[in-house]
Amino acid sequence: MAKAILYLNQFFGQIGGEDKADVGSSIHEGLIGPAMELDKHLDAEITHTVICGDNFMGSNTEEAINTILGFLEGKQFDIFLAGPAFQAGRYGIACGHICKAVKDKFNVPVVTSMHEENPGVEMFKKDIYIMKGGNSAAKMRQDIKSMASLANKLIRKETILEAAQEGYYSRGVRHQVWRDDKKPAADRVVEMLIKKVNGEPYETELPVPKMDRVSIAPPIADLSKANIALVTSGGIVPVDNPDRIQSASATRWGRYNTEGTDDLQKGDYKTIHAGYDPAAADDDPDRVAPVDALKAYEKEGIIGRLHKYFYSTVGTGTTQAEAARMAKEMIPHLKEDNVDGIILTST
Amino acid sequence: MRLEIGNFHVKDIVFGDKTAYANGILTIDKKEALDFIRQDEHITEAELYIVKPGDKVRMCPVKETIEPRVRISGGPLFPGYTGELLPVGNGKCHALKDCCVTVVGRHWGGFQDGLIDMSGEGAKYTYYSQLKHIVIVADTDEDFEKREQQKKNRALRMVGHRMAEFIGQCVKDMAPEETEIYELDPVLKRKPEIMTLPKVVLVLQPQSQMEEDGYNDLLYGWDTNHMVPTFMHPNEVLDGGIISGSFMPCSSKWSTYDFQNFPVIKRLYQEHGKTLNFLGIIMSNLNVALEQKERSAMFVAQIAKSLGADGAIVAEEGYGNPDADFVACIVALEDVGVKTVGITNECTGRDGASQPLVTMDEKMNAVVSCGNVSEIIELPPMETVLGELEALARDGLSGGWGTDEILGPSVRKDGSIIMENNAMFCGDQVVGWSPKTVKEF
Amino acid sequence: MVKEFERAGFPIVQMANLIPVAKSIGSNRIVPTISIPYPLGDPGTDKEQQWKLRYHRVGVALEALTTDAKEQTVFKVKI
Repeated sequence: MAKAILYLNQFFGQIGGEDKADVGSSIHEGLIGPAMELDKHLDAEITHTVICGDNFMGSNTEEAINTILGFLEGKQFDIFLAGPAFQAGRYGIACGHICKAVKDKFNVPVVTSMHEENPGVEMFKKDIYIMKGGNSAAKMRQDIKSMASLANKLIRKETILEAAQEGYYSRGVRHQVWRDDKKPAADRVVEMLIKKVNGEPYETELPVPKMDRVSIAPPIADLSKANIALVTSGGIVPVDNPDRIQSASATRWGRYNTEGTDDLQKGDYKTIHAGYDPAAADDDPDRVAPVDALKAYEKEGIIGRLHKYFYSTVGTGTTQAEAARMAKEMIPHLKEDNVDGIILTST
Repeated sequence: MRLEIGNFHVKDIVFGDKTAYANGILTIDKKEALDFIRQDEHITEAELYIVKPGDKVRMCPVKETIEPRVRISGGPLFPGYTGELLPVGNGKCHALKDCCVTVVGRHWGGFQDGLIDMSGEGAKYTYYSQLKHIVIVADTDEDFEKREQQKKNRALRMVGHRMAEFIGQCVKDMAPEETEIYELDPVLKRKPEIMTLPKVVLVLQPQSQMEEDGYNDLLYGWDTNHMVPTFMHPNEVLDGGIISGSFMPCSSKWSTYDFQNFPVIKRLYQEHGKTLNFLGIIMSNLNVALEQKERSAMFVAQIAKSLGADGAIVAEEGYGNPDADFVACIVALEDVGVKTVGITNECTGRDGASQPLVTMDEKMNAVVSCGNVSEIIELPPMETVLGELEALARDGLSGGWGTDEILGPSVRKDGSIIMENNAMFCGDQVVGWSPKTVKEF
Repeated sequence: MVKEFERAGFPIVQMANLIPVAKSIGSNRIVPTISIPYPLGDPGTDKEQQWKLRYHRVGVALEALTTDAKEQTVFKVKI
């Protein structure tokens, strides 16, 4: 039989209430508190219960996590569960922290449960399965059942269906699925239109997500002393594409030295970007990567200097995660040469 | 305008002495058909195959699919392209249903070409695994683009369209098994009971982004890059007024067969006079400069408003920067009070975590989603390959790759493949067939 | 990409044609270009005009890097 370990706070771990919230972490063989009910529904044996005070976890997070990871070292378990945490904020955050740490370290599936207003949901829903739970312990049996149902699927390595169907908070990822009813898109779109024009409720298949903003970096004080770098997502590369950057869905990038060149010559450089007509860029790569204009500004003393490499990748079909990773890989090179500002051209 | 499509349901296709149709059996005179194909001086080699659902066949690189038909009053199936220019959408044609002419490159593929599996796990990824295929596998002398990632596929596509015309001739003088009728009265002369229903338009954004001729969808033979949005009758689309092009990752493409059978159009016809008043189509386009995108959106909104539309459906043939045309068009329609629903696919990345469309707007509050272009698909080897499977890895098909540090090459030695949905032939079926949607996980 | 560079503290200006896309990916300093396949030089015009346009717009981008932007800004270009 599969084995499971459950995390609880001091209250559900039956150590005590708010006065015991500072208690450090401990591990116990067997079932404590909610572990008993969970054990009934789970297709696994709960071998241990881990307990930690909410305040201790909150103020000594790293220490608490490391101690618990130490407890788990060498123990056999196929799944790790925490909570349910209901609307208890500190408990929810603790469940999130420990689940994420256990998942990262031991690569086992983890499941917890929280009420939608628990701050732990926003903090951890992208990392772990958090079941939609009730707001208080009155919903204990129900929440434990829902945790167990997803956990059982994970134990059996069954396909996990979409968030709405399984009852977990969406982890912010979207994948294609085949509808059970096989209803073709033509029916769906015409029915949605009829509902919309008649003012009846309908459900969009693509909700518009909220945007993540980054604060604006401070400006360059003196351009005439500044070191400027050029980055392009337009796929301009030396004609032999030495870094084998893909023409779509790129995962690779390159940087190319422009010392001693006043502009990018046709025949030396070209674009490998498949998302647009390459004729104009191949004919004059400066149209996409304006090295010539930047060199002119350098000569005129308007900018201090042009960073000696330009950086290139392909934007089409490239995921945000890949683009972010590539940028992070470029950053140390830019920092090393004390680059002050970046021009990014995109196609 | 009234279009009658007389249907002949093809239950089987066989090679035989004479190209003819009888009792559900379509017989093709192979020699005659190959002679016909080879009349095109650019075709250097050609072979003909019959492929059916369930066959252990993988086709790649697939260029185009076309439904064989014949225009009863005479004239080309695709005016301005396979023959002289004439108006379409009114009159009669006969169609060989449940089958298509399919063009596959003998060797060379490109960004815009795709893959079809006729059986097994891969079959569910494209509508075309359900049809019977008359497959032309051919090569051309167009050496200038042999090694180009973007290919016009001019000769191969033309030979496919002509072949569809050629085969269609065999049912010209026969009585169809059933007839579909598509008829709309002039917009301002409809019956009072229809005039009181919500008025809706369908806005199409066919692929028109290449500035050089030879890649884009053609409207009566005219490159859609050179047009601004215009009002059209839906029958013109169903009756060969527009053909597919040779640009865009394949799962996002609309083949000529897709245009001839456009499910969203047919569904709107079904509702016409019952729940809505289908005014017609605003044929828009996709562009490569913001000003062009905004100009098209303005034209569409103005036409819709002037027609008195209450609602609109907007469909885009593409993803990536075409999303900007798509969203701009929806926003422009909403801004003039036309309640709009979009239909598209998404690009959320292999991990599903990317923003679904390159631009999003809160006014876009009703969308039907037909798939994720970047979903990874792994498929076992297939007994028979028509074309050259290596093209998927070698020639820059949008969903294939030569090397990948983690996933390895798209085409493995044993013939198994790993690819993105991008390369599934017309896989996202935004024209309306898609049984897929995209869900949050 | 833009967000990662900015997060690392680099002032960054994006030169792009699709302003709505640049806005939606969170670019804060944006300078328009003329099209997707040829952002900085229309092959239909002569070399001199292309150079003028490219020199001007790159100049606007450099200027943008010295501007204390308080919100997402699309900088105006003259040619």
